[in-house]
Amino acid sequence: MDTQWRVFEVFHQQTRGEPHVHVGAIHAPDSESAIVMAKEQYGRRQACVSLWVVPSDSIVGTSYNDVDIFEHGTDKTYREAYGYQTTKRVRAQTTKRPKSLREANETGEQS
Amino acid sequence: MKKTFASPDSVSGESRDALIDLIYRLADDDLILGHRNSVWTGLAPILEADIAMSSLAQDEIGQAVAYYRLLHDLGEPDPDTLAFTRSAQDYRCASLTLLDRGDWAFSTVRQYFYDVYKTHRLASLSDGTYAPLAQLARKVRGEQKYHMMHSRMWVSRLGDATDESRERMQRSVDTLYGHALGLFEPTPFEQIIADHGFCTTESGLFETWRDEVHSMLDHAGLTIPGDVTPKHGGRRGQHLPELQLLLDEMQQVYRLEPTAQW
Amino acid sequence: MIRCNHVVQNDKLGDPGYEESLAAFEARIAHGDKVEAGDWMPDAYRRQLIRLIHVHANSEICGALPEGGWIPHAPNLKRKLALIAKVQDEVGHAQLLYRAAETLGKSREEMVEELISGKAKYSNVFHYHAETWADVATISWLIDAGAIVNQRMMAEGSYGPYGRALKRICYEEAFHLTHGYDMCITLAGGTKKQHDMLQDALNRWWKPIMMFHGPSDKESRHNEILMKWQVKLKSNDEQRQEFLRQYVPKIYELGLTIPEEWNLRLDEDTGDWHYTEPDWAEFLSVVRGNGPASALRLRTRKMAHVEGAWVREALEVAARDERMPVSVN
Repeated sequence: MDTQWRVFEVFHQQTRGEPHVHVGAIHAPDSESAIVMAKEQYGRRQACVSLWVVPSDSIVGTSYNDVDIFEHGTDKTYREAYGYQTTKRVRAQTTKRPKSLREANETGEQS
Repeated sequence: MKKTFASPDSVSGESRDALIDLIYRLADDDLILGHRNSVWTGLAPILEADIAMSSLAQDEIGQAVAYYRLLHDLGEPDPDTLAFTRSAQDYRCASLTLLDRGDWAFSTVRQYFYDVYKTHRLASLSDGTYAPLAQLARKVRGEQKYHMMHSRMWVSRLGDATDESRERMQRSVDTLYGHALGLFEPTPFEQIIADHGFCTTESGLFETWRDEVHSMLDHAGLTIPGDVTPKHGGRRGQHLPELQLLLDEMQQVYRLEPTAQW
Repeated sequence: MIRCNHVVQNDKLGDPGYEESLAAFEARIAHGDKVEAGDWMPDAYRRQLIRLIHVHANSEICGALPEGGWIPHAPNLKRKLALIAKVQDEVGHAQLLYRAAETLGKSREEMVEELISGKAKYSNVFHYHAETWADVATISWLIDAGAIVNQRMMAEGSYGPYGRALKRICYEEAFHLTHGYDMCITLAGGTKKQHDMLQDALNRWWKPIMMFHGPSDKESRHNEILMKWQVKLKSNDEQRQEFLRQYVPKIYELGLTIPEEWNLRLDEDTGDWHYTEPDWAEFLSVVRGNGPASALRLRTRKMAHVEGAWVREALEVAARDERMPVSVN
C-alpha cells in the first residue's frame, strides 16, 4: 500500500484583501488533516489569515506544450488603453480649429 | 464582581502562595510535556506529522517560558534557573506529562487528554482575576485552539481505523487515563484560588474535561476504562523516577558550566 | 507541481526528434527561462535532477538526526526552542525537496525506501557523530553556511520547482546560520572549557567541512553537463572557495584556529585560499555508507519509518470514512 498519502496543493493568504497564493504541496490522508498539517508547514512563519488545500488531482492545467494558445496571432491593441492616442488626437483637433472659433470660445469663457 | 489583581504587588500572603503554586503547575506541565514532544522532531511517522508535532513542542515550551516569567515577576528565580537548576521534588507537573513518549498512539492520546484539560484551564484563567495571568491565557488561546484541532484529528482517526491502530490507542487510553486524572489532583490552595477568582476549582475543571473526553472517545470507538485510581502526587512534588531521568538529560550540558552563558 | 502530464517520450539520445527537442530545450535554458514540471526535458536532465534533489532531501532528513539528538540537552530555554525550530525546519526542507523531486516523476515512498535501504546517498557531513554541544553550534554555523553557498546558487538553477523550494529554504537557513553563529560566539567568548569544547569540535568537523561541497573539479564527473543545463551554476571548487573566503576570517575572528595539517594559506593577490586537498577516496567511502555514524543514521531513519508504518496505514484507511470535524468552534 502506498502510505505516503495523497497530495494536496496549498494556497496561502497573507492578509485580507490579498489573493490566495500557491505556496507548495503536502501529503495528507484527507482534507481536514491536510489543513492541520499545512498550517504548520506553510503557515508557521509568515503572516496568514487563510489557508486553502485542494487535492492535486482536482486541478486541471494546461500543458506547456500548448503555451502558444496564449500568444496573440492578430492585433489586439484595440482592447488595451495603450491602443488609443487620445491626447495626441485632441491636441491635433484644437490646433486645426479656425482662429475665429477659438477666439469665440475664449471670449465666451470670459463672459 | 470579584476584585481583580492588576500586578504582582497586588497579591500577598496566602493568596500569593496559592497563585505561585498554580503558575508552577501550569509552567511545569508545559515544559515537561514540551520536552517529551520535542523528541519526536525528526522521528515522527511522516514528515507532515513531524512538523506539526514539533510546533506543539515549541508552543508548550514557549508557554512554559511565559509562565516562568510571571513567576519571576512574583519574586521567583528567572526562567532558565527555574528550568535548569531545580530538582525533581520542586516540580509541580502531573505524571501525565513526564512519561516517556512511547509510540505515536501514546503521544497523541496523552496530547489529547492534556489539550482538553488545557483548553478549559485557559478558558477559566482568561476570566480570572490575576490580570497578568488572564492576559497571557487569552494570548495563547489561538495556539491552544490549534493543538485541540490537531489532537482531535489524530484521536478521531486512529481510534477505529485498523485493528492495530485501535489496539494501540485503546492500550494508551487504558495506561494514561489514571495519569490524566492526576491533572486534577486537589491541592491545599484550591479553595483560595477559587475564592480569589484566579481560576476555577480542579473538580469543576474535571467535570467539563470528563464530559468532552468521554464523548470523543466514544465517537472514536474507544472504551473509557472503569474504576481507575487517579495517579496523584505530582502536584505535591512526589514524582515517578522518570522525572529525575528527564531532568538529568535536560540539565546535562547546563551542568558542565552552571555559571556560564550558553 | 499541479497535474503534470509528464512528456516522457523521445527524451533519449537516438530517439526520433531528440536533437530538435534538445536544441529547443537548451535554447530555452540559455535564454534564462525556467524548466517546469511537464515540460519536455532530456531523460538525462530528469535523472540528474532527481538524483540531486533526492540526495538533498535525504541530507535534510538525515541532517535532522545529529542535531535532533541534542534537543533534550539544550542548555537554556532559548537554545532549546531555537534548536527544535531548526531541526523542524530541516524536516520541513526534506518535505519541500521530496515534493520537488516528485514533480519529476519519482514517488516520495520510493525515495524514502531507497534512503533507508542504503541505496540513495546523503551529504557526507551527516555521516559523522555530533559528540558535544559545541558540535551542534559548529554544524549549525559552518555546515549551514556551506549549505547556503550551495543552495543560493542552486536556487538560480534552471528547474523551477527546485528553485522555488530552495528560495524558501535559503530564507530559513539564514536563521540557522545566525543561530549557529550566535552559539559559537557565546562558546568562543565563554569559559576556557567552553572555548576548548568549540575548538575541539571545529578540529573534528574541519575535514567533513572541507569535503562538503564535493570532490575537486578535477575529479567530479557530473559538473560539466549540470553546468551546461544550469542545474549547477558554480563548480564544487568555486563553492568551496566562496565558503572559505567568507568564513575563515570569521573563524579567526572568534580566536579559533584551523588544524595545521590543512595548510590553509591566503593568496593575497587572488583572494583565494590554498589548502591541502582532501582525500576524495575517503569522501566517496563515507558517502557510500562507511562513515563513523552512517550505520546509526540509517538505523534511526529506518526505525522511525517502520515504527510509523501503522500510523500511515491507519490514516489511509480512516480517510475513506466520514470523520468528526476537527474544528473546535
